[in-house]
Amino acid sequence: MKRFLSTKGVIGASLVLLVLFVALIGPLLIAPEMATKMDMRARLAGPSFNHIFGTDQLGRDLFFRVMLGTQTSIGIAGTAVLLSIVIGLPLGIVSGYYRGHVDNVLMRLVDTLLAFPALLLALVISAMLGPNLQNTIIAVGIAFTPFLARIVRGEALRVAQMPYVEAARASGTNDLMMIVRHILPNIMPQVIVQATISLAFAILAEAGLSFLGLGTQPPNSSWGLMIQASRDYLDVAPWTALVPGGAVALTVLGLNMFGDVLRDVLDPRVKG
Amino acid sequence: MSFLLNRLLSIALTLVLISMITFAVTNILPGDVAMMIMGTQSNPEALAGLRQSLGLNDPLIVQYGRWVFGMLTGDWGNSLIFKVPITELLGQKIRSSALIVVLSMAIALAAAVPLGVWAAVHRNKWQDTLSSSTALLGVSLPDFFWGIMMILLFARALGWLPSSGVADPATDFGAALRYALLPSLALGLGLMAHLTRMTRSAMVGILNQEFVRVARAKGLSERVVIWRYALANAIGPVMTIAGLQVGYLFGSIIVVETLFNYTGMGWLTYQALLNRDVPLIQATVFVIAAVVMLINLLVDLLYVLVDPRIRLE
Amino acid sequence: MNELKPIVAIDSLRVEFPTDGGTVVGVKDVSFTIQPGETVCVVGESGSGKSVTSLSLMRLVEFGGGIITGGQLRFTRGDGSEIDVARTDAATMQSIRGNEIGMIFQEPMTSLNPVFTIERQLVDGLMTHRKLSREAASARALELLKEVRIPEPERRLKQYPHELSGGMRQRVVIAIAMACAPRLLIADEPTTALDVTIQAEILALIDRLKRENGMSVLFITHDMAVVAQMADRVVVMYRGNIVEQGPVTEIFERPQQDYTKALLAAVPRLGAMRGKDRPEKMPVLMADTQPAAPAPEKTSLAPRVLLDVKGLTTRFPVKRGPLRLTVANVHAVEDVSLQLNVGETLALVGESGCGKSTTGRSILRLVEPLSGTVTLDGWDVRSLGTTDLRRARRDMQMIFQDPFASLNPYRRLRDQVAEPLINFDVARGKELDDRIATLFDRVELPRDFLRRFPHELSGGQRQRVAIARALATDPKLIVADEAVSALDVSVRAQILNLMMDLQADLGVSFLFISHDMAVVERVSHKVGVMYLGRIVEFGTRQQIFDNPQHPYTRTLLAAVPIADPRQKRHLDDKVFRTIPSPVHPAGYQPPPSLYDEIEPGHLVLRPQLTGLPQCPSRTASPNCTPRSPPGAGTSTSIPKPCTTPSVPRPSSPRSCVSSAATR
Repeated sequence: MKRFLSTKGVIGASLVLLVLFVALIGPLLIAPEMATKMDMRARLAGPSFNHIFGTDQLGRDLFFRVMLGTQTSIGIAGTAVLLSIVIGLPLGIVSGYYRGHVDNVLMRLVDTLLAFPALLLALVISAMLGPNLQNTIIAVGIAFTPFLARIVRGEALRVAQMPYVEAARASGTNDLMMIVRHILPNIMPQVIVQATISLAFAILAEAGLSFLGLGTQPPNSSWGLMIQASRDYLDVAPWTALVPGGAVALTVLGLNMFGDVLRDVLDPRVKG
Repeated sequence: MSFLLNRLLSIALTLVLISMITFAVTNILPGDVAMMIMGTQSNPEALAGLRQSLGLNDPLIVQYGRWVFGMLTGDWGNSLIFKVPITELLGQKIRSSALIVVLSMAIALAAAVPLGVWAAVHRNKWQDTLSSSTALLGVSLPDFFWGIMMILLFARALGWLPSSGVADPATDFGAALRYALLPSLALGLGLMAHLTRMTRSAMVGILNQEFVRVARAKGLSERVVIWRYALANAIGPVMTIAGLQVGYLFGSIIVVETLFNYTGMGWLTYQALLNRDVPLIQATVFVIAAVVMLINLLVDLLYVLVDPRIRLE
Repeated sequence: MNELKPIVAIDSLRVEFPTDGGTVVGVKDVSFTIQPGETVCVVGESGSGKSVTSLSLMRLVEFGGGIITGGQLRFTRGDGSEIDVARTDAATMQSIRGNEIGMIFQEPMTSLNPVFTIERQLVDGLMTHRKLSREAASARALELLKEVRIPEPERRLKQYPHELSGGMRQRVVIAIAMACAPRLLIADEPTTALDVTIQAEILALIDRLKRENGMSVLFITHDMAVVAQMADRVVVMYRGNIVEQGPVTEIFERPQQDYTKALLAAVPRLGAMRGKDRPEKMPVLMADTQPAAPAPEKTSLAPRVLLDVKGLTTRFPVKRGPLRLTVANVHAVEDVSLQLNVGETLALVGESGCGKSTTGRSILRLVEPLSGTVTLDGWDVRSLGTTDLRRARRDMQMIFQDPFASLNPYRRLRDQVAEPLINFDVARGKELDDRIATLFDRVELPRDFLRRFPHELSGGQRQRVAIARALATDPKLIVADEAVSALDVSVRAQILNLMMDLQADLGVSFLFISHDMAVVERVSHKVGVMYLGRIVEFGTRQQIFDNPQHPYTRTLLAAVPIADPRQKRHLDDKVFRTIPSPVHPAGYQPPPSLYDEIEPGHLVLRPQLTGLPQCPSRTASPNCTPRSPPGAGTSTSIPKPCTTPSVPRPSSPRSCVSSAATR
């Protein structure tokens, strides 16, 4: 617990909490019109009293847009990571615990999938299915599954060799109970760490996909989409890119810091 | 000898799997190729005729076989949007992308390894905090953001380097380099940040090992202990990590090349995806995955040179 | 006699470690001297500060986060000048390390840089301190390897550390430390990670080098028997302070402080059980007046066989290639037969890789044997189906070596002890709670530990929990796999006594697996000595210890240091044991184990007709990992003429069984 209170931990946790707060509470406090109201007279205006972060090319207030975009971006990334866990966790556990032929076949498949860059996989899936909100989630989720499966398998393998698992077997514990009582609790820390880091990458991935037009589509707005829209106006209004870009950076930074500290705290090699 | 045979078998198997996955992923579309060529509003009979001639009514296995056979004999089909044989398109694109991949990796490694070692040696002191914080920031920003920064700074503000365009390294290396520099920097910065963190992590682990203490007890200077004894053990892990990053890099080039209008493999892939040019998508995805796999293989083989413990296998 | 200036004079040393949770004082106030040519042993348990003291002398403690906050470390250099190491600058320190003071560490497996050749690592120090050219340094490196008696030294120079065994690596480390003929050698637990026979070799080597070079030795250990073997003077440390110091005979025969007395009492002395026919509890304090109490025994009827094992064989396949074909097998357990009586303890003893652990696991079917029969109380264990096997597990349980790893860090202790009871639905609700509480009482743990997690307990306490878990279903047989090896000496004695009490109260039988001969002598009724997967000798404890017949048993017994300074072994370290491998190509059929019964119940393995050397040999890769490639690390066993060390034991004349005589 004490290690969480390091500077890194505090900053990381604060950023994450802030972003979560905005994502969850934001839409309740901010009426959607405030983000979609177009004011063509004030388009591409710089930061001012009326518009704290300025406006975009359609005169929409960037502050509110980026706040609402939080929910979209986090929502997509979070659901995608959840999807990758739902698929990858059982796969990894079965592979690492039972080993043998099942493990060989599954891991060969996973290794081959890992030869495809995650972003590429996500792009292809999204393009093939047709870019929209749920397909983006599916695309990013599937792209991140092989990596998670590998991590889970590694952990399951490590835990399955521990003497307490052998002791439980000697006590008559069957496979299902073994997985529930002993394997799962001992791999969850690493899974959580990995999930945090994957979340960071998922946000970056969604931003990349949207930037290329193969991710979130209007009328939904995500940070990536905002950056993409700002491409033509970089010279005259760089804040249109910097505001959403900054949001991405802060969120990812916070998640990376948090994940780092989490990894240190939950390191199984440190015995109590 | 059997080692080599095993390896070749492995490569062949993986290539087959890659082709299968590529084919599978590109055939889950709701629409179909014929409609893409002729448009959704076209005459249903003409569509049916086109489907027949393209062989789209055959079972998937047959289509797959046809595709693989075509690849093995050098016929990769024609691109739907460019209307030329795909093999013609790939040559220059591969070379241009190879240039920025190699360049960005070189930039990243050259900076990351010393920085990472420096941070590890001074861990938990200001040098470490500075280096690690900067690296953390670097990892948290998307590549295209760096790209945009590079454009704003070097192209628009300073005007030193072009912000778009490409040249074939085979024909004009100097020009190719000029166009490649900014994209490589954009890619390299994010990569460098990640590699710095990994190098630091690997070095910290090595410095905790007993043989480092023994080397000090021998009376060797700290400089020799760190930069020869310890670093020699870090090359292997860093190489592996860098190899894994190449995969990530090939994903990033899609975004970065598009941003810079640098027509390499990434740009090509994006165009294909945007326009649902299925034959081209299949080709580019396959090439990228195959290249990534081969590079990882190369790293595995090089690892044997670096770590004598592996040689026995 | 001249009052010689001491080589080292440590005065009021204090070392602190700043940590997140506050400052930890590793060494509080330590003062002692080391005279030229003498061996000083610093002995203590974990946390005593003995290692920190030695690292301070080399100023290596700073690299581990320590700070010397007080005292002096005076070292007399070769030219007669005296410096205070605590205040010396880095450059001078560098010229002393590896030059005037050499140091060897505990873990030979990790002490050498894995990516450099042996030659490179030897040469670096020489070139730095002696300014030799590469060729001259290489020549000197070869000489050094010969001096530490490594076989085939020319070949070793070009090899990498992973191609050498643990014992050989430690010799290389010693060679590196000796490279510049240091005046002082610091040895920090150099033999703790080595097998008994290798330990004997290394101790003999250090002793010989010391005598030939007139060197002083600072030897750090936790093993009192090793202290008795090596020391001229002893320094006993506890929690950062010196408890007692003096000449070795004084400390062993007339200890003054309670801690020293307790430490000595807790160390089983090989040979102390001669003449006693039953196991004996460890004395808690060395009471010089009252004799140690023999282990209490349930009034026994005629001895009844509980466990009967015949022809047990377990092999692990070595798989290669993308298709995972089996190219070779590790013959971990080969044709093993043994009997264990109700309420008794059978010890399986041997060095690492001999198969004793795998035998225990095979009997419990935690690992599936290839062939053989295992009969527990009349039940054929091997033929049981999955459900029946689960039920049979109620009768046979296991305690593991690593107390940290044998408990799930995320479950409460109460739940872990309850697990066997829940699995078999033996009890529920209040009855379950009562049973668990009783178990905790039985292993002498306070009841409020029930709600705790493993990380809140010490090693000894965790092992008690493991014992409670093993006892939960009232088993007939408990396999204790090196159950006390990872514990501190004093804690070890307590756990052994607990086990003997439980045996007397509950009539439980133990299969006690260990590498420690002195402990085995204490606790067992019967003993089986294992080597390369076979039992080479089997009998009662008295038969094995008082009348060992098989050459390997004799070598083993001769190598164990005795915790009595008046019984120092004069070991000849000329013998270097070659290493046969238990890995054989797939399809190889080994010969069966045939025994001679030289007295009733005392079995000795007949010599094998396959060319295995009769002479004292050692096993190959420790732990017999199935991943070791076939043929790797196998130096072909060239039977060497034996020169078994002579031991002052009047009962059996020492004669070596040479390879010629047995064919």
